[in-house]
Amino acid sequence: MLQFPAWKVILISLTLLTGTLMALPNAFSNAFLGIEPLRPEAPTAQQLADYNAEMAAAQDSWWPGMLPSGKVNLGLDLRGGVYLLMEIDEDDVVANRLNLMLSDVADTLYGQGVRDKVYGSGEVEGEQLIFTLNRNRMDETSMDKALDRIRDLNTPVDGALGGQRTYEVRQRGEAQIAIALTEAAKSSFVRDAQTDTLQTVRMRIDPEGVRDINPVPQGENRVILEVPGEPDPSRIKELLSQAGNLTFSMVDDTPSTIRDTLATGRAPVGWRLLSDAETGERMLVNNVAVVNGEDVATASQGFDPDDNSPAVNFRLTGVGQKRFSDVTQNNYGKRFAIVLDEQVMSAPRINEPIYGGQVQITGNFTMQEALDLAAIIEAGELPAKLNFMEERTVGPGLGADSIRAGTRASIIGLALVAVFMIATYGRLGFFAVLSLVANIVLILGALSGLGATLTLPGIAGIILTIGMAVDANVLVFERIREEKAAGRTPITSVQAGYERALSTILDANITTFIAAAVLYMLGSGPVKGFAVTLAIGIVTSVFTAFVVTRWITASWLRWARPKTLAI
Amino acid sequence: MLLKLVPEDTHVGFMKYRFVAFILSVIMIIASIAALATRGLHLGVDFAGGTVIETTVPDGVSTQDIRDFVGTLDVADLNVTDAVGTGANPVQVFVIKFKTPESGEAAEAGQQAATDMVRAALTENFPTIEIRSSSTVGPKVSGELFSAGITALGVALVLMLAYIWFRFEWQFSVGAVAALTHDVIITMGMFAVTRLEFDLTTIAALLTIIGYSMNDTVVVFDRVREEMRKYKKMPLGEVIDLALNGTLSRTMLTSGTTLLALLAIFFLGGPVLRGMSSALIFGVVIGTYSSIFVASSILMTIGVAREKRSLEDVPGFQGTSS
Repeated sequence: MLQFPAWKVILISLTLLTGTLMALPNAFSNAFLGIEPLRPEAPTAQQLADYNAEMAAAQDSWWPGMLPSGKVNLGLDLRGGVYLLMEIDEDDVVANRLNLMLSDVADTLYGQGVRDKVYGSGEVEGEQLIFTLNRNRMDETSMDKALDRIRDLNTPVDGALGGQRTYEVRQRGEAQIAIALTEAAKSSFVRDAQTDTLQTVRMRIDPEGVRDINPVPQGENRVILEVPGEPDPSRIKELLSQAGNLTFSMVDDTPSTIRDTLATGRAPVGWRLLSDAETGERMLVNNVAVVNGEDVATASQGFDPDDNSPAVNFRLTGVGQKRFSDVTQNNYGKRFAIVLDEQVMSAPRINEPIYGGQVQITGNFTMQEALDLAAIIEAGELPAKLNFMEERTVGPGLGADSIRAGTRASIIGLALVAVFMIATYGRLGFFAVLSLVANIVLILGALSGLGATLTLPGIAGIILTIGMAVDANVLVFERIREEKAAGRTPITSVQAGYERALSTILDANITTFIAAAVLYMLGSGPVKGFAVTLAIGIVTSVFTAFVVTRWITASWLRWARPKTLAI
Repeated sequence: MLLKLVPEDTHVGFMKYRFVAFILSVIMIIASIAALATRGLHLGVDFAGGTVIETTVPDGVSTQDIRDFVGTLDVADLNVTDAVGTGANPVQVFVIKFKTPESGEAAEAGQQAATDMVRAALTENFPTIEIRSSSTVGPKVSGELFSAGITALGVALVLMLAYIWFRFEWQFSVGAVAALTHDVIITMGMFAVTRLEFDLTTIAALLTIIGYSMNDTVVVFDRVREEMRKYKKMPLGEVIDLALNGTLSRTMLTSGTTLLALLAIFFLGGPVLRGMSSALIFGVVIGTYSSIFVASSILMTIGVAREKRSLEDVPGFQGTSS
């Protein structure tokens, strides 16, 4: 137990050295480590000056690139920010799919160029699409023809076993067909929606891709978003509440038609009545979209050349450009509407064919609104509505206070335990304190190296580990006391003490580790951080208390050859 | 001269007092269950759902102003408290809790809307106010978190039972898990009596207590097993007393250092950690008591088959002791 061959010494030293190197960056500022700061989004003069100064300092840094520069990842409760748990609205996913299916059904039954048309109309009712054949224009074969053609549309679900179909198609009564999603298709679409949502959310919150925002999936239909440094959850929720459905469509603003529509409450077939977001003007907008969100190549915040107010610029893709220029050529003098989520953002008159595909939306936007709108347009449409389930925000002030309080509690805790150990076990207690310090360094190193997140309960976990880590030492030292009392020499007492305490130490720590593992599985956010530090602390404390202290003690015994052992 | 918390050679007859301890434990458990049943736990927003917003009190505004203003807003179950935060630099803070007036399905979105409304109203009315934190938990998630928390406690207990069974014999594992259940019930009872807020961090604290108390119990049981092999003819009660006395100094020292660290968190770790650290402090004390009196007493009561077994039959024994 007290023999340390060269390879063991090398291994121990390497572990301690690696841990120290990984923990080291936490002692320095970002600029010192050469980490370049993030450019603030809409900076004030002071913020910009700070940013420039920090950038310059970071570029001057002499910190060698080969040394680790990663710091402990601070949780939102320490650095401040917004945490949001969202659920994808499954009903909305189903409704969207059924609406797509409805246009496919219409195309295949009576679309342009279809021979032998079957006429009718469909409507989405809850979880079903009901298609009703036109009784005046149907004959005995119409129903069978319709069913056949609809069944041709019914493809198998992607990745489902046994080639399960997407829809369940049934005849209902004489003239109706009911189409519903199968369970397999539903869960497949929800999964797809989750994947798309992750992407869209990331692009909306972090359009530049510089803020290190990574929404993560939770379960089948949920998404967790963390936005560090964001003080206002309302803005984030606003950005994510909009569907982001963008269309360009032709406008009919003939006063008599609008009057009729308002009087009857029914828009002519193929048109809908919308109002302008800014002026409130009512106009009829065609249901056919000339261009939609998928045709947008890029969107960014810009300025209105007339009065220099914030505006949104965007550019269409090649295909979108072509379609848009064709339509503007053929509709000289008419108006078209840029519609976002059933609100008319802008409805300019076509004075000349537009070839370039550059479009600008102006309005009474603030800078932030223009930025947000550009992000929404560029990110594209959300696959379904998001319901916010849980939101937690920590302001920067509280985060900073918590770090201060946590650090102070750790230092005082460590000092108290150190005094207590040295008073109780003398020299061996001092060795235990040395390895306790090594333990804290290793925990920090492991947290930095693993990219784990340190939360406030996590700091509590470290302090708790400080208290409990000495347990392994105490177990050994108590055994040594007993062996000494039984009349053994210092070396044999230490030897026997370590030998006999090992299985107890392992048993005792494995049980705590099990508790930490369960906590990790249950945990979210801060609590998970507690479980991580507790688990890491258990592993490192067994190493430091059992291996490092033993090594120090053995070296001392060999060097000093004490006749008696004060313990 | 080195500090001796516990004299070197103690001969306390712990098992003599086990009936006293038994009565004490039963009283505490009954009191805890009664408190849980009548007063119930004071659930935090994690488990009860709702919103809690913590703000600073701006200069020139009295807490009464904020209180009066918040009272005019359209929310339900409003509860406002003002407190001086502790920790590194104490600031006066104001804690506002409320629920949405909506109910049923609408409550999910309603709670979020209520938070946005209150936040906006506060910042509009008191431009210099700083919102230090806000948490909003909808009814669905709060229900899930609560059942996940209780499940985690159950899973942890079952895993402990299995591990001890695997390492020792079943009698040990019954004793250990009885002690853990005892700790969890009494700590929860303490929360019911003191009306301290019961939330996710409390569950974290309870799991840690389970781990800690288990740790203590394992140390004692390890020693019991060792002494049992050494003194084959000695009655079980005396063996257990021997083991408890042998580990007493360690038990006290480890509890001592852990309590020191926890007291540092309690007094210096700021208000956010107050609930968690008080649960842990209480739990460490109860856990230490239970590993001495509850776990061992139950082992004593059930008894362990001894003479027939030879040393090599015991799992984990080989080569660990001399």
